[in-house]
Amino acid sequence: MQTSPASSGRDAALRPEPLVRRLLGDGTTIIIAILVVLTVVFAATQSDALSASVLTDILNNSLPLALAAAGGTLVVVTRGFDLSVAGVVSLSNVLVAVHGGSGPLGALEGALIAAGAGAAVGAVNGYFVAYWNLQSIALTLATMIVCSGMTLLILDAPGGDVSDFMTYTMTDRIGGVVPVALAIAVAVYVVWRLLRRTDWGVGLYAAGADETAALLAGVPVRRVKLIAYVLAGVCYGLAGFMLTALTSTGTPNVGEPYLLLAFAAIALGGTSFAGGRGGVAGSMLGALTLTLLQKVLFSTGVSSFYTGIFQGVVMIAAVVVAVLFARIGTRGEAHA
Amino acid sequence: MTQAPLTGNGRPADTRGGAGARGWLGRLDRDVRTALALFAISFGLVIASRVLGPNFGSLAQMKAILVISCFLMVVAFGQQMVILLGGLDLSVASMMTLGGVLAFKWVGGSDGAVLWGVPAILAVTAALGALSGAGVSLLKIPPFIMTLAMGVILYGATLGFTQGTPSGQPSAPLSALFANTAFGTPILYLMVLAVVAGCFVQTRTSFGRKVYALGTNPTAAYVAALPVHRLTIATYAISGASAGLAGILMLGYVRGVTLTLGQSYLLPSVAAVVVGGTSIIGGRGIYAGAAAGAVLLTTLSTIVDSLGIAEGWRTIIYGAVIFAALVLLRDDLAQLLGRRRRTQETSQNNP
Repeated sequence: MQTSPASSGRDAALRPEPLVRRLLGDGTTIIIAILVVLTVVFAATQSDALSASVLTDILNNSLPLALAAAGGTLVVVTRGFDLSVAGVVSLSNVLVAVHGGSGPLGALEGALIAAGAGAAVGAVNGYFVAYWNLQSIALTLATMIVCSGMTLLILDAPGGDVSDFMTYTMTDRIGGVVPVALAIAVAVYVVWRLLRRTDWGVGLYAAGADETAALLAGVPVRRVKLIAYVLAGVCYGLAGFMLTALTSTGTPNVGEPYLLLAFAAIALGGTSFAGGRGGVAGSMLGALTLTLLQKVLFSTGVSSFYTGIFQGVVMIAAVVVAVLFARIGTRGEAHA
Repeated sequence: MTQAPLTGNGRPADTRGGAGARGWLGRLDRDVRTALALFAISFGLVIASRVLGPNFGSLAQMKAILVISCFLMVVAFGQQMVILLGGLDLSVASMMTLGGVLAFKWVGGSDGAVLWGVPAILAVTAALGALSGAGVSLLKIPPFIMTLAMGVILYGATLGFTQGTPSGQPSAPLSALFANTAFGTPILYLMVLAVVAGCFVQTRTSFGRKVYALGTNPTAAYVAALPVHRLTIATYAISGASAGLAGILMLGYVRGVTLTLGQSYLLPSVAAVVVGGTSIIGGRGIYAGAAAGAVLLTTLSTIVDSLGIAEGWRTIIYGAVIFAALVLLRDDLAQLLGRRRRTQETSQNNP
């Protein structure tokens, strides 16, 4: 905004190389850098930090948040806010705990129930936001409250029955090598990369960056938004499913912390709240960072009273760095 | 795009015409109509609750509901100022807790301490709010993240310096605000004053008008040489101070504080503002609406909580009513979008 159109020509000579620009301007680079630093600190302060079991544990702990943040990213890219994440995670958690069966088939059934519940809530959100033009933050606040009410009706105290298959196999390593959590995260990322190339994926970014321009260019903005909310709901549902496997119990208010954490992960991952910029990979890495940060604070012996302060400072620092680098990366581009 | 003339609260004037044909109600400002409608719904809810039992729908209950809505009303003022600017303040919950904890420590016990303690707490919370504003304005951190992080940091700090248990004493002068006297409850008069003062600051002062201008179109405000940074920082400072004030009032009402004192006010503060007809994108809405939204939400939760049904159903009803209010009050938004669509068509026809 502060570079005048006249100066962009002069800046062209100083423009960084495309690769440098891509590295600096891409939010994912920063989150990876933060992750590397945290991992080094973690490895230095805890002797078994890089053992397979500790790594699997960290991946398992961050997967529900990573899935929730991945879903939230789709909505944030359209310039919306989806607060229903907290309600859907709780709802699918109790649904799976109460209705999930045993063995691999039972787990599949649980996953389908969770994804279905999430899709239904997402469809309500998407329909009213896209077709009725309701404010997304207010509407999803209402659906979040309704979801937590339904959760309490299904299970009013922690309980439920989670199969051994979910508790043990789903949090283990495939063939003793690849953690299941990592495989699921990669699978979600691959699906996202494929979707990103479809008309919907292109329309998603267009609608987020400039809705009017997207409409004029023939993007079915309403349908694109509706699908974004439905897919987001599916992600939240799966997050609740994986959380059930992790905690092996149903807890009615288990999703509450996910509301703010998911948005923190999205911001850390470099997705812009102004819409049209960012991606799922960054958000998932952001979720991993937040989980690792907690472990590092614990392993460095910071009093648990003060961990909040460090979390907040790291969040602000990461975003400041991201904003600064994005500015360097796009210097002279604003008016190009 | 042509600029429509601005009304008192800084948004394009209602140029649809026909206002006179709809009588005196139609001649009122649209935001004032929303506020009146919300107050009427709250009043109707209390009256309707008479069917539930003899203890419901009495004048005493109405007064009690109004009194306990003061906390949400005060938080909602700051939240609304920030939302008018196009931002969002997620630190209000921690800020409110901090205000209560500090009041417990500084103001409690001695009556005279109110005179220096309350201003001191307001100064602290305003300064912390200003810090958020500086992050948003100078460092270009998204408001959502800046205030979320500020909230997490403040909560951690409060937890740390109290070591988990706040210490102090209740304050008699603060509690006196909530006591019944021959002339009514003092806080009720203060609330009416606050609504009038809040609307005045927003619509009749240069500062208020500039906030609307900045929220409506930041680029235009920048070009018009408005002090963008100072305005943003001041607005977040106001939000910090009003959340702090709500915490102080809470000490007066509850006569004690907990570390979760503010938590249940975070989402309702946003809901009250939005239900009160304020656009989350900024630049539209007045405090009367947000205050009415706060009264409606408090009425609703009070009545629903006393229904004697399962907590799950209570929560569902609460959410469903917020949902219904959004759908019913969407009229304004639809008109706004209708106007935008018309503008688009015009620009298409005249390339």
